[in-house]
Amino acid sequence: MTTSDATQVYQVSIKTTPDEVWKAITTPEFTAQYFHRARITVTPDAYRSYGPDDSVWGDGSVAVWDPPHKLVHEWRSLYDPELALEEPSRVTWEITQQDGGICLLTVTHDRLEGAPRTARSVSGPGWTSVLTGLKALLETGRPLSGGAA
Amino acid sequence: MVTYSSGVQDDDDRVFKALADPTRRRLLDRLFEREGLSLTELESELEMTRFGVAKHLRVLEEAGLVLSRRSGREKLHFLNAVPIRLIHDRWIHKYAEGPASVLAELKNSLEEGDP
Repeated sequence: MTTSDATQVYQVSIKTTPDEVWKAITTPEFTAQYFHRARITVTPDAYRSYGPDDSVWGDGSVAVWDPPHKLVHEWRSLYDPELALEEPSRVTWEITQQDGGICLLTVTHDRLEGAPRTARSVSGPGWTSVLTGLKALLETGRPLSGGAA
Repeated sequence: MVTYSSGVQDDDDRVFKALADPTRRRLLDRLFEREGLSLTELESELEMTRFGVAKHLRVLEEAGLVLSRRSGREKLHFLNAVPIRLIHDRWIHKYAEGPASVLAELKNSLEEGDP
């Protein structure tokens, strides 16, 4: 796996404010509604994700904490025993305000060189469904039907 | 960076227009197989000038279907499937159940049944 294909980039425009996006990606009440039901808490020091049964799904350091613009944290796929053995990768969230009350949210999942299975697992419907679910939640106040599962 | 100053309808229009071209769909297929390709890498498989490929990539970028990142001297291209998923959710999902899926299944079974 080369550096370039150890990187994935996703982008979605959301009609909301940067503060709302920030809240939605860092607080468990929100993430449970669009992120495969994971309850995710992000603080300046740590990124922690728990499954619906309270098992640990993710645990990593936070490299950049710049609300409501940029968040960079470590990613470890602890929700799957095989993926959990892989090396940690990195997720960057960037929120930019556009004209017309629109936010552009860009998610870059990189440093996946040591985590090829994680790379395959999060690509395609993985990040795509998380981001469309997040957009639906922020724009309609409701999760996508079936999108929370 | 893509700018979304207009409404949802315009976003959809841009995505449908971008998809309505076989060369652009091939570029997306290529980026689906392997992320992070340069213009030179994308160009090598198409019988088209560098300028032509760059023009198609620009249409895809404006529709938000392709995102790019600088890596040293190179500009690498990545597939962003989120707009396609949104169109799927907004339009196609509505018709995926009921009569439309019966017809789709009929089409599949008839086509598979061809000698």
